[in-house]
Amino acid sequence: MTALEQAQGLLAAWAQETRTPEAGRLDVVIAPEKLVAATTALFDARWGYLAGITGLDAPKSGQIEVLYHFCAGAYVLTLRIALAREKPSIASICSVIPAASMFERELAEMFGVAVVGTPDPSRLFLPDDWQDGVYPLRKDFAEEASHAE
Amino acid sequence: MPSERFVIPIGPQHPALKEPGHFEFSVEGERVTGATVRLGYAHRGIEKACEERNWVQSLYLLERICGICSHIHTTAYCLGVERLAGVEVPPRAQAIRVLIAELERVHSHLLWLGVAAHEAGFDTLFMYSWRDRETVMDVLEGLTGNRVNYSANVLGGVKYDLDEARAETIRKGVDYLEARTYYYLELVVHDPVFVQRTRGIGTVTREQAEWLGLVGPAARASNVARDLRVESPYAAYDLFPVQMVLETAGDLEARVSVRLKELFESYRVIRTILDKLPTGEIKGRMPKKVREGETVSRVEAPRGELFYFIKSNGTDKAERVKVRTPTLCNLAPMMTLAIGHQLADMPMLLAGVDPCFSCNDRSIVVRNAQEAETRWTWEQLRRYGIEVYKCKR
Amino acid sequence: MRLEELWEQLEARLATWGRTHSPWAVHFNSGSCNGCDIEILATITPRYDLERFGVKIQGSPRHADILVCTGPVTRQARERLLRIYEQMPSPKFVLAVGTCAISGGVFQGCYNVVGRVDAVIPVDMYVPGCPPRPEAIIDGILKLLEKAQAEGVAT
Ligand code: SF4
Repeated sequence: MTALEQAQGLLAAWAQETRTPEAGRLDVVIAPEKLVAATTALFDARWGYLAGITGLDAPKSGQIEVLYHFCAGAYVLTLRIALAREKPSIASICSVIPAASMFERELAEMFGVAVVGTPDPSRLFLPDDWQDGVYPLRKDFAEEASHAE
Repeated sequence: MPSERFVIPIGPQHPALKEPGHFEFSVEGERVTGATVRLGYAHRGIEKACEERNWVQSLYLLERICGICSHIHTTAYCLGVERLAGVEVPPRAQAIRVLIAELERVHSHLLWLGVAAHEAGFDTLFMYSWRDRETVMDVLEGLTGNRVNYSANVLGGVKYDLDEARAETIRKGVDYLEARTYYYLELVVHDPVFVQRTRGIGTVTREQAEWLGLVGPAARASNVARDLRVESPYAAYDLFPVQMVLETAGDLEARVSVRLKELFESYRVIRTILDKLPTGEIKGRMPKKVREGETVSRVEAPRGELFYFIKSNGTDKAERVKVRTPTLCNLAPMMTLAIGHQLADMPMLLAGVDPCFSCNDRSIVVRNAQEAETRWTWEQLRRYGIEVYKCKR
Repeated sequence: MRLEELWEQLEARLATWGRTHSPWAVHFNSGSCNGCDIEILATITPRYDLERFGVKIQGSPRHADILVCTGPVTRQARERLLRIYEQMPSPKFVLAVGTCAISGGVFQGCYNVVGRVDAVIPVDMYVPGCPPRPEAIIDGILKLLEKAQAEGVAT
């Protein structure tokens, strides 16, 4: 059994859809409220480590997709979660993986995804005088809006 | 009885690290009780900028994420985009990529050794290692024309080829460096001053390292087998395999020796590549537009796993380029580990993970019209120094 | 009366001589990629050895005569750059190292970048290159000192 098959088994209970976009990768779509449970399952089985969190803005479909990449050796497992673009919010996984803190701070300030329960919600990258509510990695970002009056 | 608590801000401009990052340590007496970090002084918004530039322009931008590991950034990017576009890269090009990547690792580790020595108050070693680092800088310059930001990678291959004469100068440089590295390895485990600052300091157990998600030499020093060159050989690492270097102690000393021992692997790989360089083209054809899709590209930078997520929407621009640098992985665990240590150990602890916060044109010398040389030799510099003093007086 | 004038002149010349012969420099990275910074660091190491010209790179702006700037100025670093400049005692000089510091370089138009260094503080000398070679940086500093000496350093 390869590591990816094992992961597929671990996540079977929550997977809405499973894809293999390239060799060595597995994408599993899950519902937002299942994130912590799925992460815990991976963590308990000692499946790889969290390599990063990517946000993807898709204004056309009115969604922000959040990708949690887990790596184990050459394998990459991605948990994909679609959030509504209006008021996106997701639970923090720091209780399971404390090192996710930095990634969550980045996600919050770049995409405006509220990460509920993240231990340190302060800004990581953006300047102090950045206008609240303006998120640079959203597709409709305009630089002028970021300057606070 | 609880003593008074202080918050000590360090940075963003500080003598310890050459890059801006702002740390705040709360201390009780000399003991650190809390640590936070604020980045963003070097945040330029590169990920967004990649969405506004075309595939080729982004390459030069991404190269300038970090001047120390510029080549590995473009390698990750090129490998990803080439995979998306379905472009075959000639084996010679892949081998040259690996060659330059290993040379870059040599320069980066020697640089780090110097900075770590400086933090430990051992400036002589700093000067030594940087002097020797000039050897590899010369090699890189000879190969690519620039000391930093070599821009050797292009989409579809590499820009520079090498011949036997060039290979010979590289071999000579590597021979010299190998001898020096033996000396350093000897030094860092025996010099009492250095050992006092490193042995048993900032120890990370294997469980902690795995759990906290450390990558790169910092993880390997705690016996966590994470090295993408071995686990998932990219570019030409399948033709020229490397061996993973592991240490068990997990303290600063182990982090120093992992990096130094890795250098020997790099020297070996560099020599093998020079001996067995595949023949053929150095560049494949790259289309202007890249077909729709997503890819993950992971490579082993000198500091650890570098993670790229690239999404194309079928045009000549990227839909999204996500870069996760190894420092972001390693910094959070270090903040946790700082607690309980002496304040005086903080610079060393930070330097131990080798943080890189920032993570083209050709070389230019500002020169007078009279001077024809574009480069100064040692002797010329010396004479210039004397002259400057003479005429000032 | 004449003697006093002479004395003042002598004093000024002495000050200029002192300042241009052993200036201290401080380095600030306002958002660079590191390339320029490691080359600046390389200038103080044995092959280049900036100290042979009497120039010392040290940590505190309060003891510095020359501010060596690298990188485009990011929004977060802007305040710091201004503050460091203000903390330096007069007379002070600024050296902008690298394409980014001169024009913003490849980072022009990025959302967190204010732009070049001379949009924030006055710059006395520019060293182009991405990154400039250590020799170029040394040359830049020496040209700066030459200029300072020729103009006479006012207090
Ligand atoms: S000029 Fe080049 S080397 Fe210097 S900071 Fe800018 S991109 Fe980096």
